[in-house]
Amino acid sequence: MNTVIETDKLSKWYGNVLGLSDVSLKIKPGITGILGPNGAGKSTFLKLITGQIKPNIGTVRLLGQKIRNNYCLMSKIGFCPEQDAFFDEMTGWEFVTGLLKLNGMSNDEVRSRAKDSLEIVELINDKDRVIRSYSRGMRQRLKIAQAIAHKPEIIILDEPLNGLDPLGRRKIIRLIKEYKTEGKTIIISSHVLPEIEAITKKIILIHQGKIFAQGDIHYIRDLIESHPHMISINCSDPRKLAAKFIHKDFVLNVNFGTSQDSLLVETNNRDKFFGLLPSLFVEEKIDVFSITSPDDNLQAVFDYLIGS
Amino acid sequence: MAQIEKIHAPGFWASVINTFSLFLRMGKKSRRTKVFFAISLLPVIIAAIVKLNHVFSSGGGREGIYIFSNIIMAFYLQFLILVLALFFGTSICSEELEGKTLTYLTTRPVPKSAIMLGKYAAYTLLIVFMVVLGVTLSFVLLNMNRLLDFSLYPIFFRDLGVLTLGMICYTAFFAFLGTFLKKSVLFGLLFSFGWENVIQYFPGTTQKFTIVHYLKSLLPGPSTGGFSFLLFRLEPSPTGVSIFMLLLITAVFLSLACLFFSKKEYILD
Repeated sequence: MNTVIETDKLSKWYGNVLGLSDVSLKIKPGITGILGPNGAGKSTFLKLITGQIKPNIGTVRLLGQKIRNNYCLMSKIGFCPEQDAFFDEMTGWEFVTGLLKLNGMSNDEVRSRAKDSLEIVELINDKDRVIRSYSRGMRQRLKIAQAIAHKPEIIILDEPLNGLDPLGRRKIIRLIKEYKTEGKTIIISSHVLPEIEAITKKIILIHQGKIFAQGDIHYIRDLIESHPHMISINCSDPRKLAAKFIHKDFVLNVNFGTSQDSLLVETNNRDKFFGLLPSLFVEEKIDVFSITSPDDNLQAVFDYLIGS
Repeated sequence: MAQIEKIHAPGFWASVINTFSLFLRMGKKSRRTKVFFAISLLPVIIAAIVKLNHVFSSGGGREGIYIFSNIIMAFYLQFLILVLALFFGTSICSEELEGKTLTYLTTRPVPKSAIMLGKYAAYTLLIVFMVVLGVTLSFVLLNMNRLLDFSLYPIFFRDLGVLTLGMICYTAFFAFLGTFLKKSVLFGLLFSFGWENVIQYFPGTTQKFTIVHYLKSLLPGPSTGGFSFLLFRLEPSPTGVSIFMLLLITAVFLSLACLFFSKKEYILD
């Protein structure tokens, strides 16, 4: 399969702040997930590969061509930025058609493609409303609509699932998967592992501006599985629950929280833990109020993996 | 690596026209346009008051064309076109940076210089329309009793031409300022009401470093007495030289704006 995007020793600094360091990658058609905590360098990477900013060191080639100041290449790219920014006084329809017109399409083509893309993201009934009256989720979908409207070969989505409700997320995930079957190249960034996991198996982990790991999701999962997880449970009888957990080999530690109904469990196998938990609640007739995972975020996982 | 293929994108001038139509449509709806449109009609209110006063004072006072050429023109030439050009010209670049919308434009197959030229043309047309409407209404109000006197129209069209040239030139200059200065409006205000208003009264060659010098050179010398001091000028340049200089300034600053906008890296976060 041909390489669509190739970066070589790509590095970027913002003054003294490191944005990205020594990133060499080859991205092929299909969906590639860029995963990393906030501030890891995901957006910098996406801006560099779309030529919006210039690297201090290194090169980017898209479809074999240099990207920087090569505006013609942009007809092959659909970009959904992370920031919630719009020409607020426009309607959704004007926004999509106006940007499509910049791609040099005829009026008929612009209308037809704008209609198609707004239908895909389910904004067609709200197309004549001004953007500032849209909800966060609608604005997010509008950004996706403008990115896909001109049917680009390469779709780059920077945190596209932010602000979407669960149903909206599912629809966008399905849409992204459909594009994969059309042979397109899709790059999607997120700081939420399950989001990326639901979309692709091919992921790149970025942390502190560097490629931390890349490859199959299972490899990353294995890394993450070895990370002990802290789970907080609020229930009617935390002592009874603690007694059931204490002898399990996948439970490393059990502590009682500050409130009377809370229990903190540390496990090195989340799957086994969560597999057992519901049956314990039922068997022991324990009422559960909440289950949270205080360190279940990517930053905690990264901190653990890099040993900080 | 994928084979290098020839990629088709719209031509340069097609991109300019597409950008122009997008921002003209957007500019017409913007709050800024509405506010400045209201401000641009202030002289019309002044003209109406003057006319009413003229009517109620049984035809006494200055003639309509005198007020038009001295007071109304002074307001437009030395204040309004500067303010309009400043806010619309600097915003060509700064509004994209402040609103973080530049991404949508730079990830389209459009050269950045075409974005600059298209937005410049759209915003210049908007402010020219505002001024032409205000000036026309003021002229009609002040000369209502002499509208069939065709000797007034050369004055009217000459004044309109000077104002239009002024807006074309100032907007290009402010568009350039907006591409590289973060506080372009502040610097623009200093230029408009500091540099332009002071240096034009310096004798000798110094006055020729202002745009307003060339604009005033296209107007006749002020009539004596009354409000003539408002459009006072020193040693005017010849008409041909003035027009050439105004067009040259426009071309130079517009080219520089395109160059800076194309080459400069804008970090939105």
